[in-house]
Amino acid sequence: MSKLKKNRGIESLKSRYGLMFVLPWVVGLIMFFFIPIVQSLYYSFCTVVVTAEGVQTTWVGLDNYTEILKADPNYTTWLSESIGSFAYSLPIILVLSLILAMTLNQNFRGRVFFRALYFLPVIIATGKVMSFIFRTTDEDLSGMGVSSGMASSMISVEDLTGALNLSTEIATFISNAINDIFNLVWSCGIQIVLFLAGLQSIPATLYEASRVEGATKWEEFWFITFPMLSRITLLVGIFTMVELFINERSPMIEQVFGKMRSGQYDISSAMIWFYFIIACAIMGVIILAFTKLVMKRYDA
Amino acid sequence: MKNIFKDISEADRLRALKYAKVGTSVAYSIFRYALLISVGFIILYPLLYMIVTSIMSANAFNNSTRVWIPTELSAALNYSRANEAFGDVKWGYLMALGNTLKYEVISALLQVVTCSVVGYGFARFDFKAKKLLFGVLFLTILVPDMVVLIPRMVNFSNLDFMGIFGAIEWLVEWIGSWFGADLTAFDLTPNVVNTGWTMWLPSLFGVGLRSGVLIYIYIQFFSGLPRELEEAAWVDGAGPFKTFLRIAVPSSSVVFITVLVFSLIWHWNDSLLSGMYFTENLPLASGLNGIETYMIQRWGLYFQASSPQAASIIMAACIMFITPMLVFYMFIQRGFIESIDRVGITG
Repeated sequence: MSKLKKNRGIESLKSRYGLMFVLPWVVGLIMFFFIPIVQSLYYSFCTVVVTAEGVQTTWVGLDNYTEILKADPNYTTWLSESIGSFAYSLPIILVLSLILAMTLNQNFRGRVFFRALYFLPVIIATGKVMSFIFRTTDEDLSGMGVSSGMASSMISVEDLTGALNLSTEIATFISNAINDIFNLVWSCGIQIVLFLAGLQSIPATLYEASRVEGATKWEEFWFITFPMLSRITLLVGIFTMVELFINERSPMIEQVFGKMRSGQYDISSAMIWFYFIIACAIMGVIILAFTKLVMKRYDA
Repeated sequence: MKNIFKDISEADRLRALKYAKVGTSVAYSIFRYALLISVGFIILYPLLYMIVTSIMSANAFNNSTRVWIPTELSAALNYSRANEAFGDVKWGYLMALGNTLKYEVISALLQVVTCSVVGYGFARFDFKAKKLLFGVLFLTILVPDMVVLIPRMVNFSNLDFMGIFGAIEWLVEWIGSWFGADLTAFDLTPNVVNTGWTMWLPSLFGVGLRSGVLIYIYIQFFSGLPRELEEAAWVDGAGPFKTFLRIAVPSSSVVFITVLVFSLIWHWNDSLLSGMYFTENLPLASGLNGIETYMIQRWGLYFQASSPQAASIIMAACIMFITPMLVFYMFIQRGFIESIDRVGITG
């Protein structure tokens, strides 16, 4: 024992301290992360009945999954809708927030004002408020015949069909597209903040050196800014993808949440697990492609 | 071919070059302001729309000739109805605000503290399984809360950790029965649904609402902090926790502000977790979530969300919901924007 103690250097001491620092988190992980994940997966293969004593489960195999995929006509629709909107939202949000962050990072008059303004969506954008503002127009038309969506207050479907002689489909499409633009810009809040933080951490000496060598702005972007940002781009990308998949406005999450609240634990577990696995597969491919194709080039 | 620029003097050439440069920079700044202002418009428009809609009556909303200035006001009615929709005729809004402060804001503050400790541990020390745990950290960012929501809920209705507390409870009762004492009232596994613990406990252990992202930001920041000062403290005999509290924390106000803002916003806007854990004493976000159902129950079918009657009330409720955060943002805005520049997230 005494010999062991002698051999323990500062490194091993530090290793123990490190474990002490992360220990509460590890306990929390087991309690609120790993056990729930296993349980939730198990529920998705069972029928779950909530009684006074607790939860009673009966194993039914893949029944829940066949039900949502075959019997429920809406599930696959929600799935394809979610993936579709994900496919075009992700690149637009990433590019737009990078452009805006780079613009805000420069020196110009009114920079403080614009920064304060552009961080506003960070405060508001993640909640239910968004879905109230950005109600789509079709929903309104089916309601009272009066549009309450914000975009339709700018250019309503009725205006477009009346004044410009457009067909209803095209008018609806334009109105929805405008709504989408608002929606996407408003989804850029945190991404702009993170990109700005990343841009600030690039040493100014790199730009000075490149300017001395006579690099253009375009080259500066591709050979300094983009490589130096590649890691934060990955972080922002992951954040955006998770956000896009689980935002409260997507029909899928709304439905699953409704089922959870009404106590249908088995079906909702199956729904969220299937959705999560699909989402994970998509995210995995994108992350892998990004690290292999982009980051590896710069790290080497 | 004749060179038409042959006769131009050197001075003229330089001047032309200078003009071209000025021209590009002017064009560039015009482009920049055009972009900034148009996106700024996109950001401001919904806010103005919310404010204007919240003070107009249903008739004015239906009037197709009005653009911005409402023809008929009914701000008092709209706001009192929105207040009621938060749960109580008189104090609905204030009660919901109190619940948000009690559940969400305290949870956010706990999260800021715990995540800083975990982040510091990751950034400063090498320990066994660090790589593995780092991978797990990424996993927590990837897995949405929805996946773990139900089992957590089930656990909260009978709070236990790996069956340990339940076993102790059973053991105590069993031993008690030996001595003829009735200890069934002895409860180590309480039902904490509808109490603040549902929010506080995960935050206390650093696995609360998007803790993964916050821990990651902390790791980034603490790794970039110079080690020298802390090593000096070590040499002088300060323990790791003392070093963390006295040396690392005071020089990290930047990252604390950033994380505080993020954590507060996410908690404030969260209606998924609170909507699941609370059936009474709803915080603001959940109240806002259920506003449509409430309106239809209270005032009838005409108050569907897309109807003009309801639109104004919903917008009034939205304004009431975001105002505290806007005020908070106004106070912290300068510090937050500066801290973004210095927090040094490199990915």
